Amino acid sequence: MKVILVDDEQKFINMLAKRLALRGIQADVVFSGEDAVKKITNSTYDVAVLDIKMPGISGIQLKRKLSTLNPGLKFIFVTGHGAVSKSDEDLIEKDFYLSKPLDIETLIQRIKELTKAG
Amino acid sequence: MNDAMNFINLEGLKFFGKVNASISHELKNILAIISETAGLLNDLTDLAKQGKDLKLSLLEGCSESIAEDIQRGFTTIKQMNRFAHSVDAPIKEIDLLETLELTVKLSGFLSFASKVQIKNSYKETKSILTCPFLLQNLIYQILIFTYESAGPDGEIHIRLNSQKNDGTHLIFSSPTQLILKGFPTQKIRKTIDVLGIRLNINASPHELDIWIPYVSNKILILAKKLQMDSYTENDEKD
Repeated sequence: MKVILVDDEQKFINMLAKRLALRGIQADVVFSGEDAVKKITNSTYDVAVLDIKMPGISGIQLKRKLSTLNPGLKFIFVTGHGAVSKSDEDLIEKDFYLSKPLDIETLIQRIKELTKAG
Repeated sequence: MNDAMNFINLEGLKFFGKVNASISHELKNILAIISETAGLLNDLTDLAKQGKDLKLSLLEGCSESIAEDIQRGFTTIKQMNRFAHSVDAPIKEIDLLETLELTVKLSGFLSFASKVQIKNSYKETKSILTCPFLLQNLIYQILIFTYESAGPDGEIHIRLNSQKNDGTHLIFSSPTQLILKGFPTQKIRKTIDVLGIRLNINASPHELDIWIPYVSNKILILAKKLQMDSYTENDEKD
């Protein structure tokens, strides 16, 4: 299973990647939408965990780009806000979204559900 | 004059809400990092309990990370506190550089904020009699326009400059051309008018220049009106 974590909070996703690695899930980390596009152009992933709010591009916009590059890719959105906006909510209806701080076990459960469903 | 006060109150509330939302987002990010780090410490402890080797460097990294983020949280709360106190007095003398630095830091919590450099050509900063909260609001609105032009990887320079003794120029510039779509908005025009500030947007495609008087007539009239209202309120209480 290949996972990519995209968030401009570098320490946050580095810690998350270490914790996932301890549980047997290898996750690549990138800190911007631009780097995510570059990474997914060269490699295939099963699940992308995206921060909804990032500099330059929103998680929702990034999802559209990444889906074109990697049509089978599944998404989990992460938000630092209490709730996502109504427009975002409509767009991510079919995806999972989790609120920070994350519960690692819930994240892993969601990743497994998505890869199983695929 | 009531119009000016209504404007300050209404726009002020919106601005206060917006800044507080961005601060809460920042604090949530900080807590999320601390939470993940604490989670990693738990994971390492569990592994050690199972008899696996514990790398001291990992433990050190975790404690350093928590200390850094606690410091980041304290700095954010200090800025939040200074911002909250900017509504203590509707009109007062302020240090423009301090106000500018605080507003730049608060706007830095926005996800699309560019990097900002402040250059101060004064040896001593003169005080400005103004409505501090509304001036912060104006600088914040201008910064949003410049960030949208420069982008998150771009850079904004702000210079404080004056050749005269009656006010100071606050010049926003970018190494690339500033494209301020829809600038100034009606709200910014109104804010500038209430504060008695002058806006020069045609000086250069790379610059946006606002001139802030040390004391403007409009602010003096507003201060007088507020003083009169305060006397009236006290009379009513008596």
